[in-house]
Amino acid sequence: MVTTDPTESVPDLGAVRNSMRTIKDTTGYRVFRYVNTAFLLLICVITLYPFVNLVAKAFSSEGYIAAGEVNLFPRGFNTTTFSAVMSDDMFWLNYRNTVVYTVVATLIAMALTTTFAYALSKKDLKGRSVFVGITVFTMFFSGGLIPNYLLISSLGMKNSIWAIVIPNAISVFNLLIMKSFFENFPAELEEAAAIDGLSTYGVFGRIVLPLSKAVLATMVLFYAVSFWNSWFQAFLYMDRSELYPVTMYLRNLLAAATSVEDMGSDSVQIASNVQAVTMVLTVLPIVCFYPFIQRFFVSGVMLGSVKG
Amino acid sequence: MNESPTPLSRRTMLRGALFTAAAVPFGIGLAACDTGEVDGSGGGDESVDTSDKMVGAMEDYDVGTTFVATEALTFDMLYRDHPNYPYKADWSFITHVTEDNNVSFNFTSVPLSDFDERRSLLIAAGDAPTIITQAYAGTLDQFVPSGTLLPVSKYVEHMPNYLAKVEAWGLQADLDLTRQIDGEYYVLPGLLESAKPTYTVAIRDDLWKAAGFDADPATFDEFRDQLRAVKEANPDLDYVLSDRWSTGGPMEATLSAAAPNFGVRAGWGFGDGTVWTGSAYEFTGAMDGYRQMLELFASLVDEGLMDPESITQDDDAAIQKFTNSKSACIGSNDQEILTYRTNLADAGNADAVVRQIIVPAGPAGSFVDNTRFESGIALSSKAAEQDNFVALLQFLDWLFYSDEGLEFAKWGVDGETFTTGSDGARELMPDIDINGLNPGAPKMLNTDFGYHNGVFMPAHGSTQDLLDSMLRDEVAEFRAKMNEKEPFDVGPGFLLNELDLEQVALQQTALKDAVYQATAAFILGQRSFDDWDAYVGDLEAAGMSNYLEKFNSSLRDA
Repeated sequence: MVTTDPTESVPDLGAVRNSMRTIKDTTGYRVFRYVNTAFLLLICVITLYPFVNLVAKAFSSEGYIAAGEVNLFPRGFNTTTFSAVMSDDMFWLNYRNTVVYTVVATLIAMALTTTFAYALSKKDLKGRSVFVGITVFTMFFSGGLIPNYLLISSLGMKNSIWAIVIPNAISVFNLLIMKSFFENFPAELEEAAAIDGLSTYGVFGRIVLPLSKAVLATMVLFYAVSFWNSWFQAFLYMDRSELYPVTMYLRNLLAAATSVEDMGSDSVQIASNVQAVTMVLTVLPIVCFYPFIQRFFVSGVMLGSVKG
Repeated sequence: MNESPTPLSRRTMLRGALFTAAAVPFGIGLAACDTGEVDGSGGGDESVDTSDKMVGAMEDYDVGTTFVATEALTFDMLYRDHPNYPYKADWSFITHVTEDNNVSFNFTSVPLSDFDERRSLLIAAGDAPTIITQAYAGTLDQFVPSGTLLPVSKYVEHMPNYLAKVEAWGLQADLDLTRQIDGEYYVLPGLLESAKPTYTVAIRDDLWKAAGFDADPATFDEFRDQLRAVKEANPDLDYVLSDRWSTGGPMEATLSAAAPNFGVRAGWGFGDGTVWTGSAYEFTGAMDGYRQMLELFASLVDEGLMDPESITQDDDAAIQKFTNSKSACIGSNDQEILTYRTNLADAGNADAVVRQIIVPAGPAGSFVDNTRFESGIALSSKAAEQDNFVALLQFLDWLFYSDEGLEFAKWGVDGETFTTGSDGARELMPDIDINGLNPGAPKMLNTDFGYHNGVFMPAHGSTQDLLDSMLRDEVAEFRAKMNEKEPFDVGPGFLLNELDLEQVALQQTALKDAVYQATAAFILGQRSFDDWDAYVGDLEAAGMSNYLEKFNSSLRDA
């Protein structure tokens, strides 16, 4: 008589799991994982180091910065530079301008881009290819700097917010992403809404936009970051420092340190920690803003770019 | 990601656009101008009738007269906003000009960071304000054919102080060198009674003294000997010389200061690369003097005396090495030396003594490239159409060229910002500082009052008295000794027509790039001096002979 050990017929699940794991994690794979982790950590460090260094400099005393002794941590810790920069009225005035320009420009850009992209996404739009052609043409050719300057001047937009928010209101790149996104939007939803009595604007405003949050968030991010960082429009069209965005303020500060040869005895350098403090304060909002919108970011771009 | 180009590509676009803008009028000018004729021997300066443009002007304005407009005037001005003293509308300077001269300004304010680009854009677009400040003779030449700038030499009769200083200081010949093909000049330069050479190297005097050197090296060979001895006495030094100002090319400040002593031009002084040899212009990069200069610096690198990174590093890196006593010699000027001292003190090196040396002599002799022009002013051509044109000229003459105006722009108002002692020496009020004259004073002459502002004081006061009035003793002494060197002969100058101007501008870029690349390679030892002939051949291939021919066939009559 053969007795069977009941445990024989019931395999040890833990052992199986262990053996599977052993099978999966070959030495090569483990090495790969370690190398991979190390490599990605290295990339993180390389990416983060300049910013951490900047923050460290912002809180350090000038002597240590000049001696090149500030790396990851502040030395000669002080916050006096912060108070000095923050007590400069022009800095805050320019900062406020940046906020206003960014908000207004992003609102205008989003309104124009979404509506234009939605219209262009409709295959039955008459002259669609002409509109797309004209739009794409501007991606590669422009009127040139001086004609643009003359145009904006003669429209009376110089020294006003409109010179900053209107000329770059539609980014063709963003427009094309949105257009592809809307092209993939299920037509059945729109048809159902139309049958229920919604007009074109109703369909767009109540059905399409609420279901397009991912791409909208991505576009807001693209636009807001680019307007926040932009200085060139202000440089071209603003004649008074109280109209500049904070990026111009920062640019001017940095220039004082690098244009020594032209300026003779006007060349006293702006202290490195003043530059660091200004940079930290300028990038701070974007740094805070990014993580909250980042989760939409990848999905938004993918949704827009992969055509079904 | 989005379609906003990077700042760099924006700048490239801007340059491209400006080049095009300059080229368009050039095409028009070409059609209208006989390109063979060159006449720049001072055909201008004829009197122009301005009797209908006398609004606000003084009938009896002359040297010694304070300009007061006969009615309130407002002038448009391009203002360079300096981050060290951001513009404030309530500056004492502005208030005094309004109250005392009856003049107010309508500024187009441009940040220092992008001043040149914006100015070029405004001029190219025909939208420049009447008064264009911070203009160097030569930098605005490209806009002359477009007609947007005023040939100001036609109107200088209304500027008695300017004429008096040009004559008294013997500047007419220099001024004639700036005349364009129509015989007129377009920039009123800031004038200097005597040149103010600024750049040299600063040394750690304590280490030099310890190595037994009290005196400045008389020649570059001596300089090398001193570096050797200092290195030997201080083995801790990584290198003795670690230089800066290399962002636009290798060691531009130091080479610029050294080059005249080798009979050539280099670095910031490279200019168009032409050197007058007594009978013709030669190209600096191909001259024996240039080779000797490179051999000197190459030997410093070879012997481990000069940091090879001097060629490429940014200023901060060089300053850090000097501050950390890893090097003992660095490019310097009268302001930067203060930074070095402060840094060394902050870094706890209280014993360090820093001083500047007089630029040593070289095989060609002891020369200094001295210009007595500083940045000045150009006028938009629409200025001559204004009915207050004469008053505008009188006001500019008073502010930029009269002793009274120059003092006002530099020191402010007697009794308000400074006092004058019985010996004529000016002294700032105790609560006001500038250039460290009253360390720790709560107010600054430029930031809080608007005086000592590069826009209104382009030549720092012009007269020797005013130039020296705020200088530290060491700087006045440095300038005096540098001015004892022979002035570098710039030759008779040349006058190119528009077509040639365009062509040399294109060739110049290629030639300068070739010279700069070879300069770095020779100094670093990457290229052997046996290769020199091949290098000169490269220059030849880049069009050197043709380039020189254009200059030598267009010499001025003078």
